[in-house]
Amino acid sequence: MNELLIIIFAPLIAGVLAWWLDVRGIREILGVAGPAVSLSYLVKLYTTIDSGGFVNYTVNLGGFSFNFALTQLSWIFGMIAGVIGLAAALGMASTSKSGYEWLFALMSLTGVLGVFLSYDLLAFFIFWEIMTFGSFMMVLRYNRSASLKYFVLSVIGAYAMLLAIGLIYARVGSFSFVDVYRAFAQDAALGVAGGSTVFSTFDMAAIFGLLLVAFGVKAGLFPLHVWAPDAYSETNQSYTAMFSGVLSKAGVYGFIILYMLMGYRLVSALGTFRGVPSFGYLIAFLGGLTIIVGGLLAALQEDIRKLFAYSSISQVGYVLVAVGVGSALSMEAGVYHAISHALFKGLFFLVVAAIVHRTGKTEFKDMGGLAEKMPVTFAMAFVAILSLAGIPPMVGFASKWLIFEAVISQNLPILGGMVFFGSAIGFVYLIRFTYAVWFGQRPTDLEDTRDAPLPLAIGMGILALLNVVFGIAPGLVAGELNKIIGKEVIGGTIWELDIGVGRYNGLLLTVWLIVGLLIAAIIYFLGAKARRVPVTDTYQSGNPVTMEYNLTIRRDFFRPLREALSFWLGISFDDLYRDVAKATEEFADILRRYVYNGNAQSYAWYLGIILLILAIWGV
Amino acid sequence: MFEVALKALLILIYGTLVGFLFMGIVRKVSARIQRRVGPPLYQPILDTIKLLSKESNITHGRIYDFGVVFALGATILALFFIPLANVSLLRSYGDLILISFLLEIPMLGIMFAAMSSGNPWAGLGAQRALLTLLAIQVPLGFAIVALGEFYGTFSTYGIVMAQQNSGWSIIHPSLLLAAIAYDIVLQAMFGKEPFDIMIAPGEISLGPMVEFGGKHMGLLQIQHAIALFAETLFFSNIFLGGGVVSAFASPVLNAVASLGILLIKQLAVLMVAIFIGSIFPRFTIDQAAKFYWKWPTIIAALGAILASL
Repeated sequence: MNELLIIIFAPLIAGVLAWWLDVRGIREILGVAGPAVSLSYLVKLYTTIDSGGFVNYTVNLGGFSFNFALTQLSWIFGMIAGVIGLAAALGMASTSKSGYEWLFALMSLTGVLGVFLSYDLLAFFIFWEIMTFGSFMMVLRYNRSASLKYFVLSVIGAYAMLLAIGLIYARVGSFSFVDVYRAFAQDAALGVAGGSTVFSTFDMAAIFGLLLVAFGVKAGLFPLHVWAPDAYSETNQSYTAMFSGVLSKAGVYGFIILYMLMGYRLVSALGTFRGVPSFGYLIAFLGGLTIIVGGLLAALQEDIRKLFAYSSISQVGYVLVAVGVGSALSMEAGVYHAISHALFKGLFFLVVAAIVHRTGKTEFKDMGGLAEKMPVTFAMAFVAILSLAGIPPMVGFASKWLIFEAVISQNLPILGGMVFFGSAIGFVYLIRFTYAVWFGQRPTDLEDTRDAPLPLAIGMGILALLNVVFGIAPGLVAGELNKIIGKEVIGGTIWELDIGVGRYNGLLLTVWLIVGLLIAAIIYFLGAKARRVPVTDTYQSGNPVTMEYNLTIRRDFFRPLREALSFWLGISFDDLYRDVAKATEEFADILRRYVYNGNAQSYAWYLGIILLILAIWGV
Repeated sequence: MFEVALKALLILIYGTLVGFLFMGIVRKVSARIQRRVGPPLYQPILDTIKLLSKESNITHGRIYDFGVVFALGATILALFFIPLANVSLLRSYGDLILISFLLEIPMLGIMFAAMSSGNPWAGLGAQRALLTLLAIQVPLGFAIVALGEFYGTFSTYGIVMAQQNSGWSIIHPSLLLAAIAYDIVLQAMFGKEPFDIMIAPGEISLGPMVEFGGKHMGLLQIQHAIALFAETLFFSNIFLGGGVVSAFASPVLNAVASLGILLIKQLAVLMVAIFIGSIFPRFTIDQAAKFYWKWPTIIAALGAILASL
């Protein structure tokens, strides 16, 4: 069996076996083995990819030939899927209760690996559907209405993609990426030369619009993001590490493929805006709105899972801004942030999984003071917080820094401002999470909370380690990214990123941070020893305090923000879609009542009308 | 190696002392504005020594200690990356965006320590601090964007050198707008009225600072001094021409002269903040958010758009 097929199908086979055997212990081992096999084969193929090689494979099935290929780009995305998939599987080993969850979680992993590795539009679409179905079944187990919302939007996206693929196939006559790319490039050259092109401007706009919807739904692009908060929260949180960490990257990967296959033709058809392809600017601008909307809504959530769901939307917005801008540097920055988002958001959802698993609670109002009871989980959360908020020397800073500089050096001030706002709002909602969950007074029913189970802790440990290592040595990732473009876009050593207009050195920064901390620690330890006091021994306007007082602000923490934004919060896309859905349902009802009215005479009338039409047509 | 360590130590001592001097000046000038004599200039140093030598300290746990140490450590880190005339340490890595991030990080440490105390006033203060941060980030971001686009580089030292050739940033209309917006933002970064909402003495009992005492408070005093120095220094570097003097033959003389010039510029920035702070009463937090999202944002965005044309 070919290596590419092993990479793609190993998780699914493991999932089916785990579901079929369904013996506690064995199914966990099988489930973890699935992603581990994919990951090890990807690592094994690194030497081939590294030397500029290219692994491909063709399967002929049902009259179609499906092409698979492992390129530098798909290898990077495949590695994201492999690493996060493995960590999530380790998490699921602690939190999942049934073979059902293993089957569909690993099925969606197979789907997403297939999306990254397929090299023709048809295979891309089929694996896209497998991925959607697997994740839909995972959500369905927990919450029916959330899963249906996800499913309907995904189906709209998928059929938009199918239409676009149909349009392309009708003109090109092939599904293969190579043929499609060649046809578009040729067409672009013809268009520039003034010849008659195969695709008209309208065709291009239609294909772009359809694919924007298709990939936008998966990536959670504003205003198509409404499924994500429900779907991310109403499922096994260990699975969400994969759901948000990897599956949302399929949308990002789709946009990159869009650029690679038909970028030239789209530029020649739709023009540029301020030196950026105007179609790319549209993606980037929507990405910027996604950052702001996702971030602000994350700050206003009262449920730990919802907060991170919105945060996930917000962070993918960064990737879309960078990918949309479309210069070599910003493209690399976008992929870099896709990697770091997968790393820190995967870690966050595993932390959430640990909290939910150990306390059984999800709302901020029920939590507090857990840092003392779950120190390992808190340490992991601390790494993730630093990484997401963009604190050097974590990986989150390196990738955000690249995005800032890539966007601003393209002379795009408005996008630059949006990206800046996103970094502040990230800080804001993370502190809210920290405050309500880890610090302050602990409710009495959380007194016997234990720390995270071992497999989950291992999964978190892998991701936390990568967050730190890639942050201190950002050049490790940058070196791989340069190979996508084929030249040194981001220069420097493994410790340093050098992009001409700016430099960032992760190691140097770490060293000086340690120096600063040492100086501060020396001053601290020179002082007299501190005496530990309980949480109730505190200043409360000079009044005595007992545990009966609630000292921690747990509800509606950012109320002034809510009030400042009251006008904007009144406009909800969620409500809009709900109204559209309701109107559709009512229309169907009306149709049923008037058309299928059970009156034999009206059916006779329909027949008469059709005959009349045929007669007028002259058949 | 030894030379680098010595340089770092000198920068640290200079920055801390000038920072304390600035804190003294703030108290003295606001006293004079209210027709009081005010404390001597070295008063904040005495205060800090007193706090550090307290015989009994309290703690609310490891994060409570670590947060304070982290805040000071991160401030020292930021100080090293900002070009300080001719004597700077890591100026080739003094990236505009890196520094504006580094100046925010100490806040994280303070928040962590304050919140882990479990005091409700600290929680309230943290909420206000975060919303202030969120509010100022919009004009701040646009101001940084304007600088990046105007000079085409993100190196702060590169910007200082560019100003040596083409004059101070604020003589260019687009960057003047950015500077005005940034100066309004500085008011909140310093924690001065009308945007001292985070601390809000008399209103929420010092907010995040309410539970700190003894050496924890002493550490935060040092942190405040260095942050005051670093923030004025950064502003002077990017908008007021930095101040690299190379007129003299001796490098020591050059260094002293350029530090002197920088000090005057930093004082000017500080004075504006004190004067504004002395005559305006405090905003509420939602007023502050709405204010920052309106005028400074419009000014800075205009500057950024002008700079990108």
